[in-house]
Amino acid sequence: MRFTIAREKLQEALTNVAPAVPAKTTLPVLANILVEANERGVRFSGTDLDVAVSIEVPADVEVPGALTLPAKRLGEITRELPPAPVKIAALGEQRATLECGRTKFKLLGLPRDEYPAFAPVEFNTGWRVKSSVLHELISRTAFAVSTEESRPILNGVLWEVRDKLLRMVATNGHRLALMESPVEVGPGATGDFIVPPRALDQVRRVFPPEEEIEIGKGENHLAFRSPIASVSTRLIEGPYPNYDQVIPRDNDRFAIVDRPSLVSALRRMSVVASDQTHRVKLSFNTALLKFTVQTPDVGEGQDEIPVQYTGDALDIGFNSSYLLEILRYMPSDEVRFTFKTAERAATLLPENWAGPGKYVCLVMPLRLVD
Amino acid sequence: MARIAVLPSDVADQIAAGEVVERPASVVKELVENALDAGATTVDVELEEGGRRLVRVSDDGLGMDRDDARLALERHATSKIRSASDLVGVRSFGFRGEALSAICSVSRFTVTTSMVDGAGTCVEAAGGAVHDVRETARRRGTTVSVQDLFFNTPARARFLRGTRSEWRATSDALVAIALARRDVRLRVTADAKDVMALAPAATLRDRIAALWGAGSAARFLDVDAVTGPIRVSGLAERPSEVGTASRRTALIVNGRSVRDLGLTRAAESAYRTALSPGLRPSFALEIQLPGDAVDVNVHPAKAEVRFHDRWEVERAVERAVRRALGVLDSAALVGAGVRTWHAPLVIGNDILPAPLASLPSSGGGVPLFDDPDPSGERHAATTGDVVAVPHLVQLRRTYLLYEHDDGVVLIDQHSAHERVLYERFTQQMSGGGASSQRLLMPETVHLSPRDAESLEGHRDALSKLGFELEPFGGHSVIVHAVPTPHRRFDALRCLRETLATLSGDRGATVHAGHELLVATVACKAAVKAGEPLLPDEMAALFRALVSTALPAHDVHGRSGIIRLTWDELDRRFGRR
Repeated sequence: MRFTIAREKLQEALTNVAPAVPAKTTLPVLANILVEANERGVRFSGTDLDVAVSIEVPADVEVPGALTLPAKRLGEITRELPPAPVKIAALGEQRATLECGRTKFKLLGLPRDEYPAFAPVEFNTGWRVKSSVLHELISRTAFAVSTEESRPILNGVLWEVRDKLLRMVATNGHRLALMESPVEVGPGATGDFIVPPRALDQVRRVFPPEEEIEIGKGENHLAFRSPIASVSTRLIEGPYPNYDQVIPRDNDRFAIVDRPSLVSALRRMSVVASDQTHRVKLSFNTALLKFTVQTPDVGEGQDEIPVQYTGDALDIGFNSSYLLEILRYMPSDEVRFTFKTAERAATLLPENWAGPGKYVCLVMPLRLVD
Repeated sequence: MARIAVLPSDVADQIAAGEVVERPASVVKELVENALDAGATTVDVELEEGGRRLVRVSDDGLGMDRDDARLALERHATSKIRSASDLVGVRSFGFRGEALSAICSVSRFTVTTSMVDGAGTCVEAAGGAVHDVRETARRRGTTVSVQDLFFNTPARARFLRGTRSEWRATSDALVAIALARRDVRLRVTADAKDVMALAPAATLRDRIAALWGAGSAARFLDVDAVTGPIRVSGLAERPSEVGTASRRTALIVNGRSVRDLGLTRAAESAYRTALSPGLRPSFALEIQLPGDAVDVNVHPAKAEVRFHDRWEVERAVERAVRRALGVLDSAALVGAGVRTWHAPLVIGNDILPAPLASLPSSGGGVPLFDDPDPSGERHAATTGDVVAVPHLVQLRRTYLLYEHDDGVVLIDQHSAHERVLYERFTQQMSGGGASSQRLLMPETVHLSPRDAESLEGHRDALSKLGFELEPFGGHSVIVHAVPTPHRRFDALRCLRETLATLSGDRGATVHAGHELLVATVACKAAVKAGEPLLPDEMAALFRALVSTALPAHDVHGRSGIIRLTWDELDRRFGRR
């Protein structure tokens, strides 16, 4: 293997692949990046066995071949190189030289055979989507996944791929985010997948919004690719809980709230809220939303903001950090807050939102003790 | 025929003697107390056959003149009070005027006394009858010899035990006095052998070191706290030492050694959750309170006292001991042989090192005691004081280590968190209850019949802790809402494990109210050993821990903090 590559191209490839390389691993070869030179260019790949990222960049390939090189060291060297073409050449199976101008390195790597093979993925039955659509769906839902290890199924984002629709759902059992967007999928590719949020982070990082992405599936994998990059991920197995039945359809009271003022009031209240529960009491009255916090050993706080509300007065307790998180991802300046009773799920929806599709967040109240 | 007659005075005296004089120990107690009331600074006690044959108490007190010496043997003759009003807040040990006449009536009795060096008086009596009063030479002070106790009351003499047994009782009486009056030099000889030689001691700790050995004294923590008019001071055993040596307790109320079950219980209850069940701590506590708040005239031997507000005194004792256990010094020490005593520690959070770390810790990561942006300033603002958090290192994902002025301190992360949660849950149980997060998707938990039964017994308490449960036929329950004590809390696992633990304990619902439940939930909810903690989580845990009442002990009576002193380290490295 021998090729010459522009320093910026090498840097770009490594920046994209490096986040997929695990910081700690029991399998030494995973700390390396797989470098494959072929007639089209050079492909750099990294994986932690769950998520894999590859990038192909143009290069002047003299001799095709493949080798793995230590990711961290290669990245650090590249960052310090002068702006000149970089020559990389294999010396046998597990060593390589790197030359750039008058700078020379010899690096120890590992043979290509030791690098794990990527799971086979079928793109023929797949579908295509604009990267920006994925970006939006991911960013508005993935925050709600659970970080608890006890229910791994909730650690992923549910993708419901339908004929003309892509829906993503994430929940930790206390709050839920759901978003759907019209996407032409076609009948062959429908299905449900539970995708780890780490893979979604890579998708957002590797594919620029304007790109068109091809999505294919393997036995237990989902893969994303553009002409130059690809991301593949292992899926989380198991049935996702029936989220649909917990989405309230009969919430008959609602308030229209100005998002920035709700956010700042909640932030103020959070200062004296309990560090454990972040409990804030919201009292909805005609045209007025009152906030009350009482935390033993800390103190009390009160605030109020005007809202559009006409129903009966209602007191309801929430974990303020859940509300703030949801509000951060709400796409509109006004939010529709709906509820039925102080014990039932409340929903938050964007009000006057021009976006296509549908977005709804759910949050379960905290029991109020007084 | 007259069937009722007034008893002759010698018979009456013998009967009265039964209340005050039970055995040689009571004779020793009365005589030594008389000596102390006479202002003695040195008291010598001489015993033969455990006091059965001879008790002789000599002092260097005021002494008496000839008339007083005779009169002292009369019943209700005393120099200590003059009228009933003097009884309120009486400070002398005696005041009833009964002891000498009672002892005199059941023994061969000799008093030698002098008010000035040289000329003195000697009074001899037997069975209460004075048969000789003569001039003698003596230094200032008084010597009382009691020979052949109960020689004229064979019925009582028969109840006397062996020499060893009587000596043990006498020794207990002497120890009680020695602890109460540390300013006095006390020498005791038994059958011509020195058995106790106590120099005047400045502190209770010094006296205990002299009585029980220096090693014993190092087992104790200093207690000193004032609650309203009540001051409780003294020593309480370090929890990690309890049970490793025989138990000794001493209670001193206004300078008087007393027995009091209520106060003993109060001191023991301060150890609640810091000791394994069944262990009882040693302690020596001095309680000072206004003279009119306590009545000492309820027991002939004054071994018991009556408090006007007993509850208040018990609470003060419990609080004082608990405070003493709350300092870092109560944590277990590494190194068996070393018992270096540090200067008495300040009551309070002496666990905190110098305010080097008063800078707020910065945010980042997923905090255990979660807070969306855990900035130190905010914490300081909310709690009102800045807790200086030292640099903490996690070892083996189990222990937190930091450097303290006196040595290296190790904290067990599970024990520490358990203690924090225990105190928080206890507060919630006595308050309005915890707020709980309702679940989007209620969870069904299937229980074994035993677990379901234990759930029934604890349902109300669990609901106060934040578990909203609904029976769902058979042995299943639906969980609608759960508490959220920290970010890594796994509510269902905690519930299952708690019920499984409690179902093994039949008395769980009966004993100790909900203490066991709360302790179990705290244990199951706390972070486990083996969980990696982020620096912010460690800092938050440390802050929460130092604000608990008993940071150094987990709820099962194990140590939560262990100290390795610099002295011990230096010794092991051969630096000293």
